[in-house]
Amino acid sequence: MKNLKHNILTLVLFFTTALFFSCEKETPEIVEEQELITTVSLKFQSEEEPTQTLRWQLDQENVERANLKVNTPYTVTVTFLDESDPGAIEDITQEIKEEADVHQVFYEFSGLNITFSSGSGDIKDAQGNPLYLETIWTPTTSGAGSVRVYLIHEPTSKTSTTRSGFGGETDVAVDFPISIID
Amino acid sequence: MKPFCSNSFLFILFLGFGHFNLQGQLCTFSLRGKVVDLHDNTPIFGALVSIEGTNFFSQTDEEGSYLLEGLCAGQITVVVEHPQCRPLKKEVKIYSQKEYNFQIEHHINELEEIIVSESQVESQNSSLRESILKGDQITQFSSENISEALASLSGVSLVQTGNTISKPMIHGMYGSRVGIVANGIRLRDQEWGADHAPNIDLNAFQTVQLIKGAATLKYGGDTAGGIIVLTPLKKKLENRLFGSTSLNFESNGKGGSVFSQINKTTAKGLYVSAHVTARRFGDFKAPNYNLSNTGLKEGSVALKFGKTKIVNGWELNYSRFQNEVGILRAAHIGNTQDLLQALSSQEPLRIDPFTYTIAAPKQEGMHQNLQLSYYLTTKKNAKWKWDYSYQINQRKEYDIRRNSRSTLPAIDLKLQSHTILGTYSWDNKAVWNFEWGTSGLIEDNFSNPNTGVKRLIPDYLKYEAGAFFVVDYQPNNLFSWDWGVRLDGVFFDAQKFYNQTDWENRGYALSFPQFEVTKMGTQILTDITLAFFNLAGRTGISIALGPSYETKLAYLHSQRAPNASELFSDGLHHSLATIENGNLKLKKEKVHKMVFSLSKTKGILKASFDPYVSYANDFIYIAPKGLEQTIRGAFPVWNYFATNVIMGGFDSDLAYDFNSQISFKWSTSYTYGKDLLEENPLIFIPPFNSTEKITFAPKSKKWNFEIAHQFVGTQERYPDFDFTYNTIEMGTIVPKKVEVSTPPKGYNKIDAFFSLYLSGKELSQSYVRLIIQNLTNTDYRNYLNRLRYYSSELGRNIQLQLVLRY
Repeated sequence: MKNLKHNILTLVLFFTTALFFSCEKETPEIVEEQELITTVSLKFQSEEEPTQTLRWQLDQENVERANLKVNTPYTVTVTFLDESDPGAIEDITQEIKEEADVHQVFYEFSGLNITFSSGSGDIKDAQGNPLYLETIWTPTTSGAGSVRVYLIHEPTSKTSTTRSGFGGETDVAVDFPISIID
Repeated sequence: MKPFCSNSFLFILFLGFGHFNLQGQLCTFSLRGKVVDLHDNTPIFGALVSIEGTNFFSQTDEEGSYLLEGLCAGQITVVVEHPQCRPLKKEVKIYSQKEYNFQIEHHINELEEIIVSESQVESQNSSLRESILKGDQITQFSSENISEALASLSGVSLVQTGNTISKPMIHGMYGSRVGIVANGIRLRDQEWGADHAPNIDLNAFQTVQLIKGAATLKYGGDTAGGIIVLTPLKKKLENRLFGSTSLNFESNGKGGSVFSQINKTTAKGLYVSAHVTARRFGDFKAPNYNLSNTGLKEGSVALKFGKTKIVNGWELNYSRFQNEVGILRAAHIGNTQDLLQALSSQEPLRIDPFTYTIAAPKQEGMHQNLQLSYYLTTKKNAKWKWDYSYQINQRKEYDIRRNSRSTLPAIDLKLQSHTILGTYSWDNKAVWNFEWGTSGLIEDNFSNPNTGVKRLIPDYLKYEAGAFFVVDYQPNNLFSWDWGVRLDGVFFDAQKFYNQTDWENRGYALSFPQFEVTKMGTQILTDITLAFFNLAGRTGISIALGPSYETKLAYLHSQRAPNASELFSDGLHHSLATIENGNLKLKKEKVHKMVFSLSKTKGILKASFDPYVSYANDFIYIAPKGLEQTIRGAFPVWNYFATNVIMGGFDSDLAYDFNSQISFKWSTSYTYGKDLLEENPLIFIPPFNSTEKITFAPKSKKWNFEIAHQFVGTQERYPDFDFTYNTIEMGTIVPKKVEVSTPPKGYNKIDAFFSLYLSGKELSQSYVRLIIQNLTNTDYRNYLNRLRYYSSELGRNIQLQLVLRY
């Protein structure tokens, strides 16, 4: 009986040691983040004024200000980028265009009087609703404030005029400061 | 011993019930049963069965049967004697007509030993009261998960993520503070994840024991909340083929479950058993709307093969559990503004028609266990036991993602563990019982990098080695004293990528430069090694105050190393719109707990009252600390911190038999928790709750009807973690308070059960049962449900259950 006990104990010990030694962990691979949007850029173009491009980037302290003129129509193009790997910048806007039915871009202004509508180069979904990737902005009075740019995923409505009306999940919500002069 | 009646506290407790007479017990009970040979179950003729200290006796007939009549309620000592066997003494509690079988060792010359086999459950601990679920109580929950079954015990609550994912919470603690032991080995799943339900099928087990506190040192000293021990059916040495099948149909979710098991035992001790369970549900329904994408698929199988003999035995068992669970679609949100909108809406923001389809967001889990056990009994009533278990736990979580990546898991974790437990137990004339043992664990977590999402939990190796020693001293049936100690070493070796800025901002660059390996772009690879040494101990006494009253007092000390989530987690929670960060600077958590129990265990009125108080040092908790600006707007960041905490409360149970047909049960529990450093109430403490149950069964016992009412109060004590978010309304910025802290209102809920017994006796009974949950279709929300911001709890459910035993 004693021998048996010893044998089993030895076996267990041997097993344990073997296990400890067999565990060598490999160095983990770095994760290629695929969902990431690191940068939102707004490009303001008009016939009379020089083109302005604002960029909102992750880990950036201050965002540049756009200076717009009253009653001047601007063609505003929004671009979403993944610049996490400087060697391979990815244009997420392309993905959004391909999945026009489940995405929506929207703008909310605070302290500003700006009207906006879909531009001629805008993308429309299967129902003909504009995605607002390209829009025409017309400031109506002077002032200073900001615009919040939204990218909405799987909106419950595609025809709303408020953020809450669109439903869905917010993929992007960033603020850009804007000044409007006479 | 006379019943101890002068305890004023019990009187206060029972005051609502008017008179009761403890002495008014009639001596009309009988004890019957059989005396059989332990080896081959052959009846033993001519054995003398007597009651110690009385003139009651009976001699067994050819069938081994005996009958003792005219017994009084209370505890008696039965002595079984036979010329060829050593006498056997056994304590039996008489409070109804009772059947009790004795197995005696016939071949005394071959083995100087007598083993008593009984259907009762071996108690894990004598100085702590344990709650037990067995047989029929488990079958009643056969279509639900293990946590829901446990929640029927007082002092247990559910931490939910929606309606199908739930974890048990004991005395306000959950996750790594609650241990689950199945087949004698700790379940190694991702218990640290609040939205990870225990991956185990309750149907495979015969009894569930719940011990509130870190009392079962054999299985670990880190479970300050409690430990849940799941035990399969005990195998008997007889030639038998038996099994059971249960079918459940449910109206809510338009689904059901099927469970079937089959067992074969032989007189030589060989046995084999198999069980299979399948569950399938579509979208569940709250009282007023469909809960879209809350369907569920689950399947499990278990196979067991072994040999049980007196001197030794072994078992090989394999089990596999797999599920796919939908997460409420409306709970997948992008940012704080979405959360704000969900909070202001009475209904989920997305309600689709009923479907069985489970789409993203969803969870897939799989757990496999391969276990080998061996035991050896030596001559001096000593027993060696070894268990080895290899467990694989996989969890995949799917989010709603762009560009058809929703089919690619966002979290893909594989946790493999090897556990070894060796114990030696010895009892000396049943007065001194000793048990000691050692255990070892190797845990390997692998986080698949192909998810395209930053790892929530990094790759790590964890080693644990522990040793314990417990003693139980029971000089007589009125007194027992036990104590135990356990030592554990816990070692982590993790390889994790940090954002370089996070690594610096959290002060890790200064505190842990030795962990840095290489810098890769914006990331830094670290190799983190941490060691923790934990000491756990307990001591307690149990004193019987007469034949029906019992008091127990126990002190427990537990220490727990922080878990992988508390140390390393790094990521965004979609349903809570929070960023969660682990903390490398956490120390081990130390908890002192005192538990007192006073109970009356016999008579037409049974009651127990169990108050407790615990003090925790370096208690790990998660709390919001400021907002982080992200591309999705401002996000609240939740970090893990350590604080000192005091918790206390009580659980109470009361049962009263009005007559042989009508009985009443009442249980309540209350938990108090306070953060001593922040001077705040603790978050996520269950509110006061109370359940009353009335059961009616006719004399024939052919059917019974039960109605239960549950009251859950409003949690008034909660920390205020509300914060402000700037929304834009009508062209101006409006700061809005995001009220995430306020608990929902209390509620009342009624459930009804009707059971019709078809054939057989007690454990082998077949029956049909009709269960109606939430009879009044009450619309309520639960504070401990992490998705309470989005939807109400389930509406009325009508369930038909058919249990066949053969």
